[in-house]
Amino acid sequence: LPVAGHYFQPGLANFNAASLETSDDGEILIVRDGAGTVLAQAPRRQVQATSRLGNVRRRLDFPKAGRFETDDNDGADILLRQNGGFLHRLEQSWRMVLASVMAAGAAAAWFAFYGVPIAAGWLASHTPPGVSAYLTSQTLETLDGRLLHPTKLKPAEQRHFGALFAQMASHETRGQGGYRLLLRNAPLIGPNAFALPDGTIVLTDQLAALVMKDDEIRGVFGHEIAHVNRGHVLQRIYQAAMVPAAVAFVTGDATQVGHIATVTPGVLLQSVYSRGFEQQADDDSAKVMRGMSSDPAALGDLLLRLDRKLCGAENGCEPGWLSSHPLSADRAARLRKAR
Amino acid sequence: MSRYKNGSGGLMENFQGGASVAAPASSRYEMRFAGSGSEYFKIWIVNLALTIVTLGIFSAWAKVRSRRYFLGNTFVAGHSFDYHGDPKRILLGRIIALALLLGYTLSANFGGPKVVAVWIVVFVVALPWLVKSSFRFNARNTSYRNVRFDFHGGYGGAFWAFVAWPVFTVLSLLTLLPLAHRARDYYNINNHSFSSKSFEAEISGGALYAIYLQALGMIAGAIIVAVLIFSVSGAMAVLASGSLKPGQTPQFGVAPMVFMAGAIFLYFAIFLFASAFIQAKTFNLAVSSSRLDGKLQLEANLSPFAMLWLIVSNLIVVLLTLGLMYPWARIRQTRYITERLAITGPANLNGYTSTAASQSGAIGEEVAGFFDIDFGL
Repeated sequence: LPVAGHYFQPGLANFNAASLETSDDGEILIVRDGAGTVLAQAPRRQVQATSRLGNVRRRLDFPKAGRFETDDNDGADILLRQNGGFLHRLEQSWRMVLASVMAAGAAAAWFAFYGVPIAAGWLASHTPPGVSAYLTSQTLETLDGRLLHPTKLKPAEQRHFGALFAQMASHETRGQGGYRLLLRNAPLIGPNAFALPDGTIVLTDQLAALVMKDDEIRGVFGHEIAHVNRGHVLQRIYQAAMVPAAVAFVTGDATQVGHIATVTPGVLLQSVYSRGFEQQADDDSAKVMRGMSSDPAALGDLLLRLDRKLCGAENGCEPGWLSSHPLSADRAARLRKAR
Repeated sequence: MSRYKNGSGGLMENFQGGASVAAPASSRYEMRFAGSGSEYFKIWIVNLALTIVTLGIFSAWAKVRSRRYFLGNTFVAGHSFDYHGDPKRILLGRIIALALLLGYTLSANFGGPKVVAVWIVVFVVALPWLVKSSFRFNARNTSYRNVRFDFHGGYGGAFWAFVAWPVFTVLSLLTLLPLAHRARDYYNINNHSFSSKSFEAEISGGALYAIYLQALGMIAGAIIVAVLIFSVSGAMAVLASGSLKPGQTPQFGVAPMVFMAGAIFLYFAIFLFASAFIQAKTFNLAVSSSRLDGKLQLEANLSPFAMLWLIVSNLIVVLLTLGLMYPWARIRQTRYITERLAITGPANLNGYTSTAASQSGAIGEEVAGFFDIDFGL
């Protein structure tokens, strides 16, 4: 059965009403005008036809001749012997569409909760030590003199913290030489301690002032050393690079409407990863503390005291799903269980 | 099937029987969009699933299908547009874009501010090339009635419109913003052509300034109204709680609180409206100031109210459905904008021959699309 459409001469905008049919054996496609004159013909395989896409007009380019266009997609499918093509059949079936929704959701969830952490962990453990050392020196160079200032602790206190740190480090995988403690006065950062990728750990005077028992500061050191051992700083950098890149790749042509919708999950995901890291570091710290018969729960006491000082409450300072750390009350409870 | 009648009359095919009817002085062709939300949803979700299954490789094919769907459903004078982009070129562009994005985030994290400064220089140098290449790739891969569009803009013009003008805008404390806007539109429109006929835009600077000043007026009005309501409701609170002793905080009644919430809502609504107003009105002005071949007059007639409603309602629906209604939102927005476009003129496309359009690289196009730079229009 001939398929109605129109025929454009090569490269021209004017056209003739035309119809498409095949030779008796179905191997040759022929375009005729209303009077039956042949406008173009070619073996089926040499004709370049666009794939079927919704109700979009079908286009057939004849070699060294013009172009035939038709709205009759079903008719064109029969003559082209295409059955609509694989993609079109997927798009026609609501069952396949439903399966696609589920597959897309499952793949996104797997990527978010397993794929990214696995990849970031692998990259972090394969990053050369030179890179970690460079990153650390860059970070300290930026912070020192701006946010970090020389410590104001008394020499005796400094020696005391140094000794506790050395004792803790000797129970860790890299041994005493693998880690380094820096004491800094940081009024703008406040009470805090943080780990840098090469094993440097910074303790602020403001946190040191809150410490009441030696086991509390041992717990802090254990926690930060665990961040170093597991390469959490590097992992965070890799995650920060991977998540937006993946989102951009999948939603490549999302504009305007898609913008907020694509940025939000990335931000939420980062804080989920971060909370996971904190819990790992707490657990590792508790394990080492038990091994040296110290009290893992002391870290929890310090965290609660910190919250009372910063926010006047024990429930943390921001809503849980946005914060980078789990609630201090939850952490303290978990540490008590690890006794 | 009148649309299959012989097309020797070019755009005038609507006048059946051709020869005996004298061509009217001018005729108007409204654009029409035939895409449907449910049809595009199926295409979109299959695209998404295959993109994930193929670890992103299919995304280039997905993009071509998506663009073909939108252009193929955009009709003017009974004919749809068509898209011919080669997925393999697009894939190459995407891989380079991905490498750049990863390279930037990683090196910025490891290298600090100095490395970021280097990237900014690289970006400023590359931006005009990205703009030029993406305009050209899109134009050359779009056709109407078997004839391709083309884009002739060069690096210098793009540098002027997209780097120099934004710098002037900042230096002039935003007073040159409308002119910068116009420079961008001129680069875009005046370098496009269909067959060998060029598009020409002549945009009135005064009209452009008027649009921006009206928007500025709305924002200023919003601030004044918000401040007024705040002070009135503050005064009401004071009156309600009797005379205020030193150190005593006013007890807020319900009425002043409602007033304040209303003021905040009004403020954001007017702010959003002002941005929709600028978008719609400048688009209308640029399109309605453009002609093809000096004969075909384009026109656009977007309503700022409708645009505001589209943007806000689409955003809410997409967020509430976790993105599943994104295809519907996109179709809805495209339909509204397309059906507000029209062409007037003694149209005659007959004999408009296609100048051979050699493939320009998809690379620039994709790098630009990836970083989601909005080029207006």
